[in-house]
Amino acid sequence: MASSQVVKVLIVEDDIVTRRIYRTMLSRFGFEVTEAEDGKKAINHFVDGNEYDLVLMDKEMPKMDGVEATRTLRGMGIPVKIVAITGDEHSRGAFLDAGADEFLLKPLSILALTDILKAFNFLN
Amino acid sequence: MDYVNLRRQAASLRKSLFDQGYLDEQFYQLEDLQDDASPNFVEEVVTLFFRDSARLMANIDQALDKCVKDFNKLDVYMQQLKGSCTSIGASRLKTECTFFRECCRDENIEGCMRSFQKIKREHSVLRQKLESYFQLLRQAGPIECATRPSK
Repeated sequence: MASSQVVKVLIVEDDIVTRRIYRTMLSRFGFEVTEAEDGKKAINHFVDGNEYDLVLMDKEMPKMDGVEATRTLRGMGIPVKIVAITGDEHSRGAFLDAGADEFLLKPLSILALTDILKAFNFLN
Repeated sequence: MDYVNLRRQAASLRKSLFDQGYLDEQFYQLEDLQDDASPNFVEEVVTLFFRDSARLMANIDQALDKCVKDFNKLDVYMQQLKGSCTSIGASRLKTECTFFRECCRDENIEGCMRSFQKIKREHSVLRQKLESYFQLLRQAGPIECATRPSK
């Protein structure tokens, strides 16, 4: 886990509306949220030395898609929990092969998010 | 001012948005996220959606205006718009976005043009209806959460 007690989440999603919704969902749990609008920016957050406990990863994004970003993070040896969240049901295999821990279909519900957070022991 | 009547009108408009397929279950998710900490969350997200979707639609308009049609680019823009529609539960818009993307895959430019005109109409209608809805809510004042329409 990241050094602080607060759970740190990186939202990687190109749609500003979706990022807003995820941010509000996560804020209910008191998590610290950072946003990246594409895979490349997400990688840069880690390259800059930031640590996160969880990444919510979209698939279709400009510059670098979610599967490539996931693969890159794992290649960098970054063990962060990655949850792929996409409308593309056919990308499950690609995401899991790239190293994602979980795969969810959009739209994300608060219930599905809560279940994942509990499974990862991010909720007391 | 007749607050009860305003609330009734708001509830009726909201129900019609679901009954006529403009909105789907995802809109309930937005309502569930609204609380004392974010009392205007739904309206804020919807406003954000219409602002950002207008930008995406302007991009699509420009791309369709070009002599040489870039179907990949059109598909990317529409994929973004569809994602936004999905997030707020804009069901009819989402369906039309899917059809547009199929036309892109088939490189069917006439299909894309027709579909995009429909998207613009649906976008405009949904915007008007939701603006009316939120205006009624504001006029009615703070209310308890409306009950979900029966399925």
